[in-house]
Amino acid sequence: MVLSAAGRVGLGPGAPDVECDPTPWLKVRKSRKYMGRQDDLAVTAAGRALEAAGLRAEQLGPRAGLYLSIAWLGFELEDIVPVLDASVTEGRFDLDRFTRQGMRKAHPLLTFRCLPNMPAYHISANFNIQGGYLTTYPGTGQFLQCLEEASLALESGEIDAALVGGVAFQRNFLTAWQRARVQPAADPSGAWDAAAVLVLEREDACLARGGRALGRLLAHDVTYAPFDPDEGFPQGDPDLGARLGAAEGPWRIAEFLQQPGAVHTHRGPTVDGFTVSFTVEVPP
Amino acid sequence: MTHRVVVTGMGVATPLGCTVQGFRDALLAGRSGVGPLTVFDPGGLATRIAAEVKDPDALGLHTDRKASLARWAAARAWEDATARGSEPLGDRALAGASFGIGLELFTMGDLARSRAPGFVPPDTTRDKLRFLQVPSDLVLHVLCKTYGLRAPPLLHVSACAAGTDALGAAWRMIATGRRRWMLAGGSDSMINPLGVAGFCTLNAMSTRNDDPPRASRPFDRTRDGFVLGEGAAALVLERREDALARGAAVYAELAGYGNSLDAHAITEPEPEGRGALLAMRKALRAAGLSPDDIDCVNAHGTGTPKNDPAETLALKALLGARAPRVPVCATKSMIGHLISAAGAVEAVAAIACMNKGMVHPTINLREADPQCDLDYVPDGARAHPQRAVLSSSYGFGGQNAAVVLLHPERGP
Repeated sequence: MVLSAAGRVGLGPGAPDVECDPTPWLKVRKSRKYMGRQDDLAVTAAGRALEAAGLRAEQLGPRAGLYLSIAWLGFELEDIVPVLDASVTEGRFDLDRFTRQGMRKAHPLLTFRCLPNMPAYHISANFNIQGGYLTTYPGTGQFLQCLEEASLALESGEIDAALVGGVAFQRNFLTAWQRARVQPAADPSGAWDAAAVLVLEREDACLARGGRALGRLLAHDVTYAPFDPDEGFPQGDPDLGARLGAAEGPWRIAEFLQQPGAVHTHRGPTVDGFTVSFTVEVPP
Repeated sequence: MTHRVVVTGMGVATPLGCTVQGFRDALLAGRSGVGPLTVFDPGGLATRIAAEVKDPDALGLHTDRKASLARWAAARAWEDATARGSEPLGDRALAGASFGIGLELFTMGDLARSRAPGFVPPDTTRDKLRFLQVPSDLVLHVLCKTYGLRAPPLLHVSACAAGTDALGAAWRMIATGRRRWMLAGGSDSMINPLGVAGFCTLNAMSTRNDDPPRASRPFDRTRDGFVLGEGAAALVLERREDALARGAAVYAELAGYGNSLDAHAITEPEPEGRGALLAMRKALRAAGLSPDDIDCVNAHGTGTPKNDPAETLALKALLGARAPRVPVCATKSMIGHLISAAGAVEAVAAIACMNKGMVHPTINLREADPQCDLDYVPDGARAHPQRAVLSSSYGFGGQNAAVVLLHPERGP
């Protein structure tokens, strides 16, 4: 099993991208209207990864799987304020006004743009991924589980290629609130909107199509210590997930792939009770 | 796969009752759990009906209904699995949870409060976690803490397929030797202002407000969308050898799981049902069975105009010449669509009915749709011995999942 490519997109302070436009990878341009920020990020990272791997849609289909960790539900304030403004009486939420007037102010496609399974839909539809999947939530511990399931599916021969990644739409009011209560030590202005997607392949399949191994996943592990959230969240590694959320794990692996001739390891605890580790060998 | 996986505990919270036996009996009686929406006043919304859980004990005092329902179902499954064995469940270091949990929508009332002048945010951890929005994974951590489950938990967000994916992922973890046993299932309640209004904007739900029990009509020519429901199911899955060693009575074997992506369109399933077919074939292959072994199908059966014909085509392609003779039932005709919980609750329905030698009916199917021409069991519950049942779920956005369930003694 080899890592044949990675694709990343990041928006925020010091991030590598200044915009995220998935249009070049859309099979149907008008599908953009259904896409929220998380979908833009997911399609862009997946598109960059598949392009770097030299994998085309016709080579994927049922022999390709998709394994994604999706961050906390993101919601743009500008999408909900018109609804709220039409649903309040004397500053308080008025259910009757909401059902009769407020909801009419909602964008009709708003639901499509925030559902956590939509990044998986947009990747599958635009890149013809039809095999097995795991769509989970909300961070790095779950990304490691994605890695585990993808590895098993590849080893068992169920699929030849897997897209494994994380998607984090974080610069919005809802995720800001979420971060503040779960990860209070993290700098609230430091979060990026980010996605990172890795291409993992069976080595024989990769070589047969003329692909190239950028690296090998030598080991990966995830452990967990149960906790009661009402008593507070675990401390966690302040660097793990603070900037990139669910995209942290694949992003770090993508960075490793750019440093040839070394074995790279990362290990650390997350704020939601997981301890993750992964080791990647990158040949000279 | 190195281990066979069996079900030794089940718990439910459904619109038809909060015990497995009560739920099963109501299904076999063909009762509807759909009624006027009472959780909040739906006022001017186009849909004003829902399938609500009515048991106050199951709903508890938690402000997040899906969390209360999950805790109830998990507690009942745990008690059940413990009571059915002479020894306790095994090593908790290799025990985990796998759940489909509904969307973490926010509350409009809290949003209005947070934007009012002079707003002071809550300051305790507990209050913060319940203000504006309750994170979906919160209840999963609570379950792991309550039952001492020390293997990493897994939360599925594959929409309407999440409950079946949760069972399937648990099956795979146990079957491959990575877990000894798991608490698996789903919980959801989108019966809140934003949830119901969101589905209304999609025109996905039935608007038969004047006749709630007749509103959910899977496979009927006059179907006009699904009815939103709420509920939860939890199943204790364990290695067969562990269950036998601790003397546990077995409800069923979970023998295989498969999933697939449609890669088709955002607003409709692949019209030929190819993605659904792939998921079902993978589940059968994993179980080492052929389509000829399937005695009954618990269908996704939403009652939406596009799902039901596509699902029918997938089943015809799977079952071949036997298709007209294999009973296909839609639990959603009675309890509505439980979204992330649907697959888990329907798996319990399938197991409970299989063990009774019965197939529950698809109610409200009175006018045949030429595009839906299988045996949907429209005329009441039917005695029908089963060795293997297929239970499937198809998510909005083309995520398809299926599991194969075997009778504990008669399974092929």
